[in-house]
Amino acid sequence: MKESLLEILCCPLDKHDLELEDAEYEDDEVVGGTLVCTECGERYPIEDGIPNLLPPDMREESPA
Amino acid sequence: MGVLENKARARLFYKYLSTVYDRINPFIWNERMREEALELLELEPDSTVLDVGCGTGFATEGLLEHVDEVYALDQSEHQLEQAYAKFGKRAPPVQFHRGDAERLPFATDTFDVVWSSGSIEYWPNPILALREFRRVLKPGGQVLVVGPNYPDNPIAQRLADAMMLFYDEYEADRMFKRAGFEDVRHAFMGPEYEPEVAITTIGRAPE
Repeated sequence: MKESLLEILCCPLDKHDLELEDAEYEDDEVVGGTLVCTECGERYPIEDGIPNLLPPDMREESPA
Repeated sequence: MGVLENKARARLFYKYLSTVYDRINPFIWNERMREEALELLELEPDSTVLDVGCGTGFATEGLLEHVDEVYALDQSEHQLEQAYAKFGKRAPPVQFHRGDAERLPFATDTFDVVWSSGSIEYWPNPILALREFRRVLKPGGQVLVVGPNYPDNPIAQRLADAMMLFYDEYEADRMFKRAGFEDVRHAFMGPEYEPEVAITTIGRAPE
């Protein structure tokens, strides 16, 4: 994803802004990192450049 | 509550269906129907368009004939893999997201057009999703949703009720108006042998 995408993304739960943490870049793409809600603190991973903004109850079972 | 109106089941279903989906798809939702639906929209090359439930990217492909870039969202990574293969994983032309139609991860007043085809039948609460569409649309922006038309035949009706959400134009009208849309209109589309298999609804977010 492009970093400028942050302007239109928001937390799916409470619609507050997201902050990019631990960003990994490839050219001008953000390919890894975490989007963190500035209000509720929920964390959304960026997986190979694709932001996974599924609410936590819909995410696939994470490996134990 | 139909069998597939459960997101976990829908996800599992699509995990297996995604491999053959584009081969099945043209029988119920083909390029001519897609073109008819696209003609209902006011699209400019620089329009900001969201495709909710983009799946394998069949509608995304049609939208890209009219606009330069599409924002696409789906819950199923297996469906999205097919779309990545078509358009590449990096924007442009498509910015992909994983997300839920009923809880969109986009700011208010963002899009000129929100499109969704072949997805509404899996939403547990369609009005919630439609309200989200209205929220992320700019004032005056257009919504377009393609879903399965409720069949006239009683046997087909029983099958439809057991499987997923089907609706007719009265039900669609009620849902879109409750979600706050204006100028709500419906069009029926389908292949020659079943010309009303799909119902397409368009509406506008209030100014």
